[in-house]
Amino acid sequence: MKHRFQHIVTVAGFCLVGTVILDACQKNYESVPLGQTATIDDVFNKQDSAGTQALLFLANCYQAALPNGHNRVGGDYLDAASDDAVSSSSTVSAVQQIATGQYSAASPNADDDWSKNYTAIRDANIFITNIYRVPLNEQLPNGKPAIAAYRSEARFLRAWSYFELVKRYGGVPLLGDTVFTITDNAQVPRNSFSDCINYIVSECTDIQDSMRTESMVNGNSYGHITQGAALALKAQALLFAASPLYNGGNIDPNNPLTGYPSYDINRWQLAAQAAQTVINLAAYSLVPSFTNVFITQASPVGSNTESIFWVQVGTNTSVEKTNAPSGYTSAGGNGQTSPTQELVDAYPMSSGLLITDPASGYDPSNPYQNRDPRLAATVFCNGALWLDRPVQTFDGGLDKPGGITQQTKTGYYMRKFMGPFESSNPPEYSNTVHDFIYYRYAEILLDFAEATNEYSGPSSAVYDVLISLRQRAGIIPGVNQLYGLEAGMDQGAMRLAIQNERRIEMAFEEHRFWDIRRWKIAAQAYNTTPLQGLDIQQTSAGLLIYNPISVLTTTFFDPKMYFYPIPYSEVVKNPQMKQNPSW
Amino acid sequence: MALVLPGSAWAQGRTVAGIVRDSYGPLPGATIAEVGIPRNSVPAGPKGEFRIVLKGTSNTLVVSYVNYVRQQIPLKGTNNIANLEIKLEQNTSGMDEVTVVGFGAAKARTTMTGAVSSINAKEIEDVPTSSIQNALAGRLPGLVTTQRSGQPGRDASDFYIRGVSSLNPNGNQPLILVDDIEYTYDQLSQINVNEVETITILKDASSTAIYGIKGANGVLLVTTKRGVAGRPKFIVRTEAGAQSPVRTPNFLDSYHSALLVNEAYNNDGLTPLYTQNDLNLFKSGADPYGHPNVNWYKATMAPVALQANADLSVSGGTHNVKYFISGGAFTQNGTVRKFDADQGDVNADGVNSNYFYNRYNVRGNLDIQASKNLAIRMDVTTRYMDINQSSNVNVLGDIYNYADYHPFSAPLINPNGSFAYAYDTQSQLPTLNALLESGGYTRDRRTDFNTLLGFDEKLNDITPGLTLTGRLAYASQQESVLSLNHGFDVPPSYHYDPVNQSYTLNTGPNSGGYVEGNWVNSGYTDLDIQTVNAQIFLNYDRTFDKVHHFSSLLLWNQQTERDDAATNLFGQIVYGQVPQKYRGYSLKLGYDYKQKYLIDFNAAFNGSDRFQASKRNGFFPAVGIGWNLAKEKFFGELFPMLNLFKLRGTYGIVGSDVALGNQYLYQQVYNSGGGYPFGASQQIGGTIYEGSLGNNNVTWEKSRKSDAGLDMNLFGDKVSSTTDYFHEYRFNQLVTPGNVPLILGIGLSPSNVGITTNQGWEETLTYKSTVGKIFYSLGIVYSHNKNKVIYEAEAAPRFPWLAQTGHQINQPFGYVYEGFYTQADINDASVAKPNTATPPHAGDLKYKDINKDGIIDQNDEQAIGRPNIPNTTVGLPIKLGYKGFDLSVLFQGAFQYSLGLAGTAIEPFQSQWQPIHQRAWTSETASSAEFPRLTTNPTTISSPTNYNSNFWLINAYYVRMKSVDLSYQLPKSQLPFHISSARIYLSAYNLLTWSNVGKKYQQDPEVQSNSVGDAYLLQRVLNLGIQIGL
Repeated sequence: MKHRFQHIVTVAGFCLVGTVILDACQKNYESVPLGQTATIDDVFNKQDSAGTQALLFLANCYQAALPNGHNRVGGDYLDAASDDAVSSSSTVSAVQQIATGQYSAASPNADDDWSKNYTAIRDANIFITNIYRVPLNEQLPNGKPAIAAYRSEARFLRAWSYFELVKRYGGVPLLGDTVFTITDNAQVPRNSFSDCINYIVSECTDIQDSMRTESMVNGNSYGHITQGAALALKAQALLFAASPLYNGGNIDPNNPLTGYPSYDINRWQLAAQAAQTVINLAAYSLVPSFTNVFITQASPVGSNTESIFWVQVGTNTSVEKTNAPSGYTSAGGNGQTSPTQELVDAYPMSSGLLITDPASGYDPSNPYQNRDPRLAATVFCNGALWLDRPVQTFDGGLDKPGGITQQTKTGYYMRKFMGPFESSNPPEYSNTVHDFIYYRYAEILLDFAEATNEYSGPSSAVYDVLISLRQRAGIIPGVNQLYGLEAGMDQGAMRLAIQNERRIEMAFEEHRFWDIRRWKIAAQAYNTTPLQGLDIQQTSAGLLIYNPISVLTTTFFDPKMYFYPIPYSEVVKNPQMKQNPSW
Repeated sequence: MALVLPGSAWAQGRTVAGIVRDSYGPLPGATIAEVGIPRNSVPAGPKGEFRIVLKGTSNTLVVSYVNYVRQQIPLKGTNNIANLEIKLEQNTSGMDEVTVVGFGAAKARTTMTGAVSSINAKEIEDVPTSSIQNALAGRLPGLVTTQRSGQPGRDASDFYIRGVSSLNPNGNQPLILVDDIEYTYDQLSQINVNEVETITILKDASSTAIYGIKGANGVLLVTTKRGVAGRPKFIVRTEAGAQSPVRTPNFLDSYHSALLVNEAYNNDGLTPLYTQNDLNLFKSGADPYGHPNVNWYKATMAPVALQANADLSVSGGTHNVKYFISGGAFTQNGTVRKFDADQGDVNADGVNSNYFYNRYNVRGNLDIQASKNLAIRMDVTTRYMDINQSSNVNVLGDIYNYADYHPFSAPLINPNGSFAYAYDTQSQLPTLNALLESGGYTRDRRTDFNTLLGFDEKLNDITPGLTLTGRLAYASQQESVLSLNHGFDVPPSYHYDPVNQSYTLNTGPNSGGYVEGNWVNSGYTDLDIQTVNAQIFLNYDRTFDKVHHFSSLLLWNQQTERDDAATNLFGQIVYGQVPQKYRGYSLKLGYDYKQKYLIDFNAAFNGSDRFQASKRNGFFPAVGIGWNLAKEKFFGELFPMLNLFKLRGTYGIVGSDVALGNQYLYQQVYNSGGGYPFGASQQIGGTIYEGSLGNNNVTWEKSRKSDAGLDMNLFGDKVSSTTDYFHEYRFNQLVTPGNVPLILGIGLSPSNVGITTNQGWEETLTYKSTVGKIFYSLGIVYSHNKNKVIYEAEAAPRFPWLAQTGHQINQPFGYVYEGFYTQADINDASVAKPNTATPPHAGDLKYKDINKDGIIDQNDEQAIGRPNIPNTTVGLPIKLGYKGFDLSVLFQGAFQYSLGLAGTAIEPFQSQWQPIHQRAWTSETASSAEFPRLTTNPTTISSPTNYNSNFWLINAYYVRMKSVDLSYQLPKSQLPFHISSARIYLSAYNLLTWSNVGKKYQQDPEVQSNSVGDAYLLQRVLNLGIQIGL
């Protein structure tokens, strides 16, 4: 009996403890686990009148959409994949693969930004479709709600990303405000080139009034995208749409993905008007010193009145350390970029006359004398002063010693974007502003000049653009006050003058690579001759002998390479995704 | 009746005393009975001793014990016998075998319907390896092991039950349960084998279904030893062993290396690096400082390192309280040489930067019979260990790495005693001995603590055979990493120039790094996990009318795991992670009629909070049936030699909740990241970005498993055979779909879309017999499986041969080798070549142009070879017993797998020069070459890093003499004092290896494929031990 009682007590005890444990465990087994990372409701918080989290998401939209163009493509400038420069790398660089045509749909080139841009578009769409959940009470200086400006910035970034895609692939799928979920059908077809341009243009038109104007920018909002940027994007999109590759020169005439079916001169007019709109804002002007454009912050924070849209990179020494001549051991310098002889030869004399002009006074045995000052501001030539000594790119010189260290292949190094370290002593680099400028006023002027010349011929307004740039560059006005230009040029001569001006003014700013494509001159630029450099021999007497050398044979498979191939994986995953011609 | 044999009359009243033991020691609890009078039986005492008075006339004893071969002992003579020694042999797959099948249940082989294999831990007790899983190789059918490394403390084998079948790389690990508490691979490798009683693997659906969670990968069960009532029984065991590598890499000396360097330079059209004078000096060794000749492997690694092990256990108790308490210490040294003469450490400061592993195990298992019906159980285990390695140098990687050390880079030490450095390399590292002598260590210190509190309450009042069991277990793991270093890692070193006898200080690639700072230590917590597991179950086991046997189980189980030092997506350690939880209900119903017709039904209903609430629960049913034909009368008459002939089959569904990466895949999370700068000063704020797209539907991975088996015992259990065929259809696997366009703009979470199959068969065959006084047994343990990817949401490939679907999981892809390019091939534009910046030369590897486009590129890759995990493994256990001597040998082999290595394992100028490089292609040896032309260019078509091909991938196999154990049990009569048993044993691990891998690679056949091949070489261990029982 006693045992029996004991047994009942223990069983009851176990049941009791068991019930408590079960109950405790029940509490410990939630249907929604706690403590996870933020959800979308935390990011676009309905209580957050300061929008702290939402603005961090906007920062992510910027980050996702805006690459830092300095040494962007596998460590090189995109321009090193054009006829302006080659990579100094001793192995096969990513830009060399682009320039020599070593890419395909299955193994895309290093500038294949398909996935990256669609990520940026998705991010922007998340912001665009969710930001109005946030009761943001910030106001712009003009009393308008800042929330509309922020949303427009995201729309700008989306349009910008589409334009990046259109430059590379032609027409691409336009997703509108769709944020795909895992169950959505993402097998959508490509939109036509025309649709894409129209979309970009209409987005820019829609958002321009809700954005900050240049005058509203202050120390806090500095770096946010402004109305000027939206108008500049619109101008550039229209300029591309009017360009020969798409407008009349469609490589696959009846293919709406690669351009328009026929030429329409009015596209040039639209482009000219769009550039004129930016000029009419009167918010921008040329900076007196060409070199300062790239190393000063924009107004009102800095003195740079020319910068319209840029990616904030901040201050550092990376451009110098990566690209400066390789002989400065203490300062560092990896000599990554070797500008070509073709680029150097494009710079006129300080009189504004091309070196091919018999009247220019160009001396092949003293080639860097009396040249357009933009040459020295863009390219290190042998003998240029840097860090308190002349740059030595002659054979065996400090900056071209031979052997295995990375050094110039052409006898030149890139100088643009660097701080004023010419006579710096001690020979060290200090932090310099290296924001990468996407749109600046000089380019808008050139856009305007190009479109106007194509639409209505070389008017005085066209001349004025070139003159203003040449004047700023430091070219001598000359007796006719035309800074080396001829009076009464025809449309074709003016076209060549504008194209050359654009090449030298905008070198290394990711323009040349796209310009030779939209002008449909890439086959000629790449395939005519191998890219040239100089082999400079210094005699024992100190005399310099300049021998041209070929540095890279580039290949452009005309016409398919006017567009990048759509990544192969994308085509197989989506039966609606049409591949570009011949890829 | 008067004609009774004379002898028999004498036999009555005869007393026989002695002990029962096996080859490891006494067997307390063994049953000694008189043949013919089964009721006259006695159990053996704590030291195996017994005393029986014979009543019948058979003059024969029969001795039996669970899991041992029943033995009949004819008694000689007619007198009393005082010290009879009876030795039982373990029954690896006999009729009486009882196998633990989880949750306290055990089943005899005769009534099992599932596919289960088990081993008594005694069988592997003497194998001199610290990790249990290494000792299991080749012993259990269906268990596939690969030992990737021999590094002390990190040498545990990966193992899989019936191979791999999930596309989820984390989803193939079996569930490991030690006394029903879940362990990780790492934890299992730290268990002291002396604490273990049995190891069981559950392979099919019916035996794993009650585990639900992760049952899909099979279950490995370990039970530990428990006390037996009686006087305290002490067992002391100590052993020491010598380790040496299974193979040592064969590297060329300076002269032969320099010849090959010159050959490569010549091939590339460069001026040879070494002059004839250099070569002469390398050959003659006349200039040991200007032209050194150092084999960095031999200079750094000692031929032999020691390991030692000591265990003490005591067990015993009374009827009410039983205990088993054990403590063990294991130490294993690395093979790095000592560079300091007297202190016994690796370096002069007394800092040990050698590899080593120290482990201490403590276990206390306590059973209390609190009342007639209530038994309480309390287990406490702790493990504590250190794994050491050098902190400023990856010794193993650098030994193989030609780019860091050439054999002629530096002398071991300069003539003035200063350190030398590899001045002719890019990295200019001080010599390996300099780094080791001055460097510090990185030490992982890990502590594990487990407690288990349990009770068993017999509920016979409610109905006989009903038991209520509860268990509450707590386990914690903590690992912290401590490093001790100099302020600067690199010691001062000098290049000695024997011509002008000058010394040049090494400024290194980072100038200024040559001043040795003070010792500085740093550390962090690597692992901090606490797990709480609670189980309550009702057991019902009863036989009605002696023929109807019911057994059933109803279980509730819940686990919470909290990982306090988990790493987040950025690899940073984050604290305060939420717990991972699961909950399960399991049911098991079993019935057998006279052990002849068997049926089992198992089911589990499990929930895991890795899945969203509505997708959380999974139901996993399984059924098993068996028919023991040998119990049928007609069968017995037809086949009298068959003692057991049982057909069985199971079918069911089991699951796995292992999710790749993010713990909660169904949640759409947003992460914080590096910032985009705004404002005048461009201060970088943060950003918030979207994480991988959440998948609300994510749920259990499931596996439909079927298994058919045949168990046979023939000729009085002399021959025993177990055969299993299995097929598995694994679906709902979590894989990241590869067919979703990138315009989605975000990474995808895995979805339950993958499908694979896996099938194969297993055979265990054992023959045992005695010849005179010699007992012997021979066996075969064979396992074969092959999986196949049925669907993995793969994007349609460019060409059909590029598809992974339809091949095995982790099928290697690469080019198909067709010979070497000849000069004619190079000149012939119609011969396919790669379209790269490095054009091929004569003597480079030529590959098949599968799509016939004239270009060798990714489109020409196809499935080559096999995955790296063997499809077929074989074990051959051999045992011999004669009086006190026992010999046990296990051969283990693995077949049908591929191994390919790259980088520092084989490629010129990355790897040290090896004999195979001497057989490289030259224009003279073109027909007999075994290696492509030597070149300084690392990116040619011949490089396995750039162009993986079946030239580099070996269809590998190996056979090892995996373990050898020779022991001698001293006769009890010769033992002094109160020693009840004493045994001396000589054992070996990995004694001999045969493999075809050595033809190409200077590595062990078990290293990971596609690695650089600088694994710590597997060790061969020779070990001598003694075990004493008191």
